[in-house]
Amino acid sequence: MFINAVFIILFLLGFYALIVKKNLIKMVIGLNLMEAAVFFWVISFSDIGGEVAIHKLNEAAVNFNDPVPQALTLTGIVIGASTAALLLTLIIELNKFTDTIDRDEIEGLNN
Amino acid sequence: MHKNFKNITAVVVFILMGIAFYENFQLMPAYKGLGEGVSDYIIRSGLSETGSLNLITAVLYDYRAFDSLGESTVIFGAVSGIVLILSRKMLPVSSRGLSFIVKRTLGIITPFIALFSIYVITHGHLTPGGGFQGGVIFAAISIIFSIVYGSAFDYRRYSPQMKTAFETVGALTFLGLGIAGIFMEGYFLHNLGFLTAETGTLISAGSIPYINMGVGLKVGAGLAIIFYSMIQKTFKEEI
Repeated sequence: MFINAVFIILFLLGFYALIVKKNLIKMVIGLNLMEAAVFFWVISFSDIGGEVAIHKLNEAAVNFNDPVPQALTLTGIVIGASTAALLLTLIIELNKFTDTIDRDEIEGLNN
Repeated sequence: MHKNFKNITAVVVFILMGIAFYENFQLMPAYKGLGEGVSDYIIRSGLSETGSLNLITAVLYDYRAFDSLGESTVIFGAVSGIVLILSRKMLPVSSRGLSFIVKRTLGIITPFIALFSIYVITHGHLTPGGGFQGGVIFAAISIIFSIVYGSAFDYRRYSPQMKTAFETVGALTFLGLGIAGIFMEGYFLHNLGFLTAETGTLISAGSIPYINMGVGLKVGAGLAIIFYSMIQKTFKEEI
């Protein structure tokens, strides 16, 4: 369906950037794009057209969306931000030693 | 020729992967909704068990609190790694910041940003929000200080030692509440029932608001440390 198609396109765009691109920062962007695709899919498929799972005072419960995927996605977003920050830090440090952020120009990795 | 061949190969491989993905998704069973299972249980009895109106917060800090502890440990690991890699001296890189108009405007706005972050953190069990979201808003204050007023101002007002102390206090709050759960209720990170007041008030939902505060401090200070470590080495001296 529509959600699956959007997920596949986003995920493959991220994977393309991760595999094909030479620039290290573009590779990090690709990794984050893959994460965003997964979060989008997890949130979208659990959407049954209800409300966010927050009770209102003095009101009966209406039909809620599933709270568990939303909590899992929150976990994933935080961890994704942490890994992205760590990767960018490593790129900064690499740039200091090699004066490049191109994957092929780094000595020792180029065959 | 060689370069084109590589690109065409990559595109063909990715198109084939897309088709394979799509076929796999066709095989997946459809989402059945909330008829049974853990989600239905949480929706039906989450409010009466935890006292938290926000069921997502109830999942994060009560049912899966141990997982949230691991998550904040991941942030701690990332911050430790970044600080170890980047900062050899904790001296600020001075910059003059932005123009006078921006400085005055943000001087007026910044207290309200702080107030909003405190609101989001402490009302995590009543309204949308919680420790992680409010902590990110809290870190935005430090980022505003660095960009608008210059990182020397940020260093004076909100020094790295203070950020480290905030992060430690947040982590110890989380752990302390977990260990208090062992002694008072029998399980690690069990919700402390005696703290529960009337549902819907600010002091309700057991230990969830306090865990929220700890996580908010931890995330806010952690992201501020990450930003400060990165800006410290990458911006050159201007004055």
